[in-house]
Amino acid sequence: MELTLAISSSPIIGLNHYLVLAAFIFVCGLLSMMLKRNAIGILMGVELILNAANINLVAFNRFSYAYSPDHKPMLDGQVFAIFVIVLAAAEAAVALAIFLNYYNNFNTIDVERAQTLKG
Amino acid sequence: MTVAVLLLIATLLPLLSFAILAFVGKRMGNPLAGIVGTFFISASFVCSLAAMIVWLSLDVAEGRAFGFGGQPILKTYDWLPGGLQIGIYVDSLTVVMFSMITLVAALVHVFSLGYMADDRRFPRFYTYLGLFSFSMLALVLSGTLLQLFIFWELVGLCSYLLIGFWYEKKTASNAAIKAFVTNRIGDVGFIIGLGLLFCHLGNATFPGIWGSLGNAGMAQSGQVLILPMVQGSAGAAELSGSLQKAEPQFTRFPHVTTTMLTLMGIALFCGAIGKSAQFPLHVWLPDAMEGPTPVSALIHAATMVAAGVYLVGRIFPILTPDAKLFIAIIGCVTMTIAALIAMAQTDIKRVLAYSTLSQLGLMILAMGIGSWVGGLFHLITHAFFKALLFLGAGNVIHAAHHEQELTEFGGLWRKIPYTAITFGVAVFAIAGVGVTVGDTMIGFAGYFSKDLILHHAGAFAWLATKEGGHTAYWLFFWLPTIVAYLTAFYMTRCWMLTFAGRPRNQKLYDRARETPVMYIPLAVLSVLSVIGGTALGARQMIESAAKETNNYFDPRLRPPAVANPTAKVAQPAHFAGFSTAWQNAGAYAHGDTSTIASDAYRLGERSLKYVSFAFVVGIGLGILVYSKGLTIPNALLRVPPLRWLNIWLYRAMYFDEMYAGVVVACTMALATVAAVVDRYVIDALVNLSARVVRRGAVLARLCDQFVLDRAVSATAEMVQEIGAAARAPQTGRIRTYVTALMVAVALSLAGAIIVVLSTTGR
Repeated sequence: MELTLAISSSPIIGLNHYLVLAAFIFVCGLLSMMLKRNAIGILMGVELILNAANINLVAFNRFSYAYSPDHKPMLDGQVFAIFVIVLAAAEAAVALAIFLNYYNNFNTIDVERAQTLKG
Repeated sequence: MTVAVLLLIATLLPLLSFAILAFVGKRMGNPLAGIVGTFFISASFVCSLAAMIVWLSLDVAEGRAFGFGGQPILKTYDWLPGGLQIGIYVDSLTVVMFSMITLVAALVHVFSLGYMADDRRFPRFYTYLGLFSFSMLALVLSGTLLQLFIFWELVGLCSYLLIGFWYEKKTASNAAIKAFVTNRIGDVGFIIGLGLLFCHLGNATFPGIWGSLGNAGMAQSGQVLILPMVQGSAGAAELSGSLQKAEPQFTRFPHVTTTMLTLMGIALFCGAIGKSAQFPLHVWLPDAMEGPTPVSALIHAATMVAAGVYLVGRIFPILTPDAKLFIAIIGCVTMTIAALIAMAQTDIKRVLAYSTLSQLGLMILAMGIGSWVGGLFHLITHAFFKALLFLGAGNVIHAAHHEQELTEFGGLWRKIPYTAITFGVAVFAIAGVGVTVGDTMIGFAGYFSKDLILHHAGAFAWLATKEGGHTAYWLFFWLPTIVAYLTAFYMTRCWMLTFAGRPRNQKLYDRARETPVMYIPLAVLSVLSVIGGTALGARQMIESAAKETNNYFDPRLRPPAVANPTAKVAQPAHFAGFSTAWQNAGAYAHGDTSTIASDAYRLGERSLKYVSFAFVVGIGLGILVYSKGLTIPNALLRVPPLRWLNIWLYRAMYFDEMYAGVVVACTMALATVAAVVDRYVIDALVNLSARVVRRGAVLARLCDQFVLDRAVSATAEMVQEIGAAARAPQTGRIRTYVTALMVAVALSLAGAIIVVLSTTGR
């Protein structure tokens, strides 16, 4: 009841705003991944996509699952977001290690040059 | 039993020698291999001698006079199930043969130590000699005809190997092949006879055969014999008794006609024709002289060629009168032509070879006229003096550095006196030098055996004509008599041309020398050639063997008409049972009941007067004609008929040429026809089929090229294109992958939305 009211009738910032923001960030990340030749840029694009997802998680948790049937607050989305941040940090560490090795071998971090595994 | 064991050991020792020499003979080298071979054969001789002594002392134990031999020993073992047996059969004849063979073999081994000393295949020579000695002894020891045949072939093989011992010589290898092939012709007959015997009796032992068919000697032509098959007659216990005890069991073929028996006897005798070199197949023996001379002495004079006579001796009881007549004719022809040819030969070994043929013919003739004892006795004495002659000839050839022509010799007695003396002794022995004073006979070995045969021949001829036979039966007496004169003459000629007179080839004469190891055997053999007729008791032993053999004749099986030998049995062509007549005839014992037989015996004895002085005439003429070397005979040969005769005889009556002209030409013609058929019929068929296959192959190639290959390469190309297509998106560029990923996600989302919207109906 309150959920639908909150989504439809709120004059202030609602769920749609979050979703639009998340979509924008997602597309920014995606474009960065698709267009950048620099490996760091791609890594940044990945981070942007993860953050877009985080925004969605947090937003849906706030607007969809604010209250459980017994009116206690649920934090599933928030917890997931924290997990994703942690994983993103770990992933960034692994990716940076790969890039370092890559640089050592090819003397560049241009991903266009990484074609030795091509079929 | 001791005798059998001793003889078995004596048989196996040469086999051991053969095995040792075959494996390590080459490493032993020149003198040692020969010494080993000689040792084993000497041990074998000692065993045989011990066996003979034990055998003779057996009679004393059994309460008989010394020198008659014990009971025959037969020991059989099942070789294959179904009645195929092998075994050993020992009687007095076996024992005598063993002593003779091992003695001659041992002496030849010793002789070869000197004769073959320079040969580079010396160990192989002794290997072959060992194998031969084993085969020959095993042949004599055989208890069944099949077993005898096996060893018969084995001695043939050894003969082949030893004739061709110097195979680099073309003549030697040809002679070996000739001997082998000629023997095969005879053996075909042997196998046929063996097959006939098998068909009726199975693989029966010798006593078994004699028990079943022993009355063959009495058979009249056209009769039918009932054949009792005595099962298990092989047992030694039954042997000592007679076959009457055994219950007769009839074979699948309950009766056999005498015609069949005659054919069987002649077929078996064909084996002897080949091995003993009788008339139609005699051509191999003179050529066999290409082998080393000790081999000629051992195999082609003393032992192996005598195996044919031994075989006839073993099958003797089953020979019908017709078969015996055939045998006698063959023997008579061989004896006569060989003696004639021997007169004109100039090669010392060929003279001896034809003399061997002649003597073998005499033995076969003796067998044919029923003189079992005479034939086998002559076999033993002949072995001694013929081995002596050959070893003496070997000595001459060795001394003369392998010159064999009599025309090149002369005066050699001054250079090789021992050989001259021993050779002379052998000449006296073969000429039959000896006299009868009252009842005692004094003479060389050959005198006794030859006299015995001629005595029986005279009695036989008298008996045959009296029973209504043709006068031509007298030829069986007169031809051997004439041959006795001829033998004395040509052997004297041989001695005179070799040893007497002036040397005709001075160079050869100067180089001649004697080797001591080679005249020791000569001395031993010459002693035996002197005393072999009496002192050794060979004749007594063979006579006792004959009696043992006769023990197996079942009296019940005799046709009633001849059960009584005095009864008149008028068969014009051949008088009844002329062989078996001898057991009744008092040929062995005087004072028999049969008047006809004792008449025959006395008349035979009286007819000996024609031959008593053959040796005087023969040797005298020989000395007279050849006293001045070749001058008198050369003068004689200028007379045209004599010259033609000499050439005819020198070429061995053109037998070789005749065989070459008839047999070989026929074979060649047949081969030519076969070749033409092969070329124009069989080859054409083969070519045709090849062409058909080639056409087919062209078709198959087209099919392959345009159908199968296309399909295969199309598959390959298809796979390659699919691979290329699948490869294209794999650029390796991460941005492409991300783009593709996003496009895919977008498309699937769009698809999912469309599907959801269409199903929900909105």
